[in-house]
Amino acid sequence: MFFFAVPLCLCGERGFELTLESSKTSVRHVPGYFQRLVSVWMRHYVVYTNEIWTNAFPTLFEPLIFIMAVGWGLAAAVGNIGGFDYLTFITPAQIMMSAVYTSAFETSYGTYFRLEVDHHYDSMVATPVGPTEVFWGELLFTGTKGVFYSAIMLGVLSFFHVLHSPLALLVPLVGFFTAIAFGSLGFFANRLVKNISQFNYFVSGVISPLILFSGTLFPIEKLPAVLQAMAYVLPLYHFVHLSRMLTTGVIAPDLPVSLVYVLIVPFILGFFAVRCMKPKLIK
Amino acid sequence: MPSETLIQSKNLIKKYGDFPAVNGVDFEVKTGECFGFLGPNGAGKSTLMKMIYCFSPRTSGNLTVFGMDPDKKAPEIKNRLGVAAQSDNLDEEITVAQNLEIYGRYFGLAPSPLREKIAELLKFMALETRADSKVDDLSGGMKRRLVIARALLNDPDLIILDEPTTGLDPQVRHLIWAKLRDLKKQGVTLLLTTHYMEEAQQLCDRLLVIDKGKVLVQGKPADLVKKHLKPFVMELPSSSKLPKGALMRNVRVESHEDRFFLYSASPSALEKIAEASKKDFQIRPTGLEDLFLKLTGRDLHESE
Repeated sequence: MFFFAVPLCLCGERGFELTLESSKTSVRHVPGYFQRLVSVWMRHYVVYTNEIWTNAFPTLFEPLIFIMAVGWGLAAAVGNIGGFDYLTFITPAQIMMSAVYTSAFETSYGTYFRLEVDHHYDSMVATPVGPTEVFWGELLFTGTKGVFYSAIMLGVLSFFHVLHSPLALLVPLVGFFTAIAFGSLGFFANRLVKNISQFNYFVSGVISPLILFSGTLFPIEKLPAVLQAMAYVLPLYHFVHLSRMLTTGVIAPDLPVSLVYVLIVPFILGFFAVRCMKPKLIK
Repeated sequence: MPSETLIQSKNLIKKYGDFPAVNGVDFEVKTGECFGFLGPNGAGKSTLMKMIYCFSPRTSGNLTVFGMDPDKKAPEIKNRLGVAAQSDNLDEEITVAQNLEIYGRYFGLAPSPLREKIAELLKFMALETRADSKVDDLSGGMKRRLVIARALLNDPDLIILDEPTTGLDPQVRHLIWAKLRDLKKQGVTLLLTTHYMEEAQQLCDRLLVIDKGKVLVQGKPADLVKKHLKPFVMELPSSSKLPKGALMRNVRVESHEDRFFLYSASPSALEKIAEASKKDFQIRPTGLEDLFLKLTGRDLHESE
């Protein structure tokens, strides 16, 4: 339940309220902000779990294939990084990538479809649910998917002898924050695109570079200083970095920085992303 | 029933950039009536609707719904509204009942009364055998009925219907009209947009005709027709030679594409003209459609 606490205080909570306007039968209760947020989350949950394997398979398939190919093929050639074999090094990155893919695609293509093609959000905001709840509900569900995918990846990878600490069990939680952050980026992309094919710019121009240059496949120390600094500030590095501490059990000295980044930045991004999506719905 | 004012609009204006979609509109909707918005495509009907269901903030002017300001009390207003929008926007991949359950939760309805309500509404809309069908498998008419059932989940005081029967076959249209009249009898206030004049005639107690964001006329359909048109109209092919002189006195002639439209108070006067022109003719009482075309013009209103 703590998932919901942070967005609530960021976007201003509407209290639990009663309307006193008379109605046919009795005083009618207007659902409060939290209840409305949960109802949006529930919609996504019902629709998504309805065809869960069709929905989940592609997102999980890619990182798994990748880890097999790179892990078995490339790992032998690369040798050890930071005292661990290459497969161990890229494991946390692969788990985070599953959260990145699911969230970035959900809130770019998926949101675009619900907004412009299906007009599904229109039906939601014709009820007491408002645009803030619609988009935060979406982000929170994306976060939930981040947990789900990270947990499955973690489960599968546990057979590969790449998890070296029980702290690894916390990685799905990091997946939640990763998904909120990248879900927010998807919203920003939605604000900018004029048609659905323009999301290609978002995927090749934003998501792919972030995935490649964020300490996922090689340590960022190998990058030129400028890129290193950029990677350190931009989303993904800290999510991967923190996950790596958890899967290896080796705690880096900048743990507090990563922890604060992971816990706070997704909600700052989410706050602005929801704000910038509102005019797309309420015109 | 006391005729409380449910919606009040004064000099309502909505601009998209510099374009005024709604340009100084005044109207009132009272409890228990069916009020219609008529207008060609792009006239501002849908924008007006969206402003009422808190979807589109106004640029200026006054608007209250249930005595509340949509800019300030959106959840409270929407809690008492049922909206059936133009596009069906249902969740296609889940079942009919699941769609309604999800929607009921948006209103904070508790699970067990919600289940009862769903059963009741499915029966009302003759969908009770389809509760477990995927929406994807329903026909267009069934989807429309489901959208209307969905708009009734919260026992709304006001139902907003944006072109409720566009694209449906006559059987379904008549079924939906019967259900809407049924709701009206139960005291529900209806607000609808349409460009089917028959629909407006069947359902609306009062209506307004809007074009280019401005209200052209408003009132009871029969009064409006009486006030603005002669009681009879005859259509003739434009190849007809119209007589001159006494026969044509007090006859108004409109020409459009390949037709003449002749308006008169007396059907026998029109018959005489028809006999003189020796062509197939048809004389009928004037109706809303004639009024609508007179007010908004016979030329196409293509959205630019």
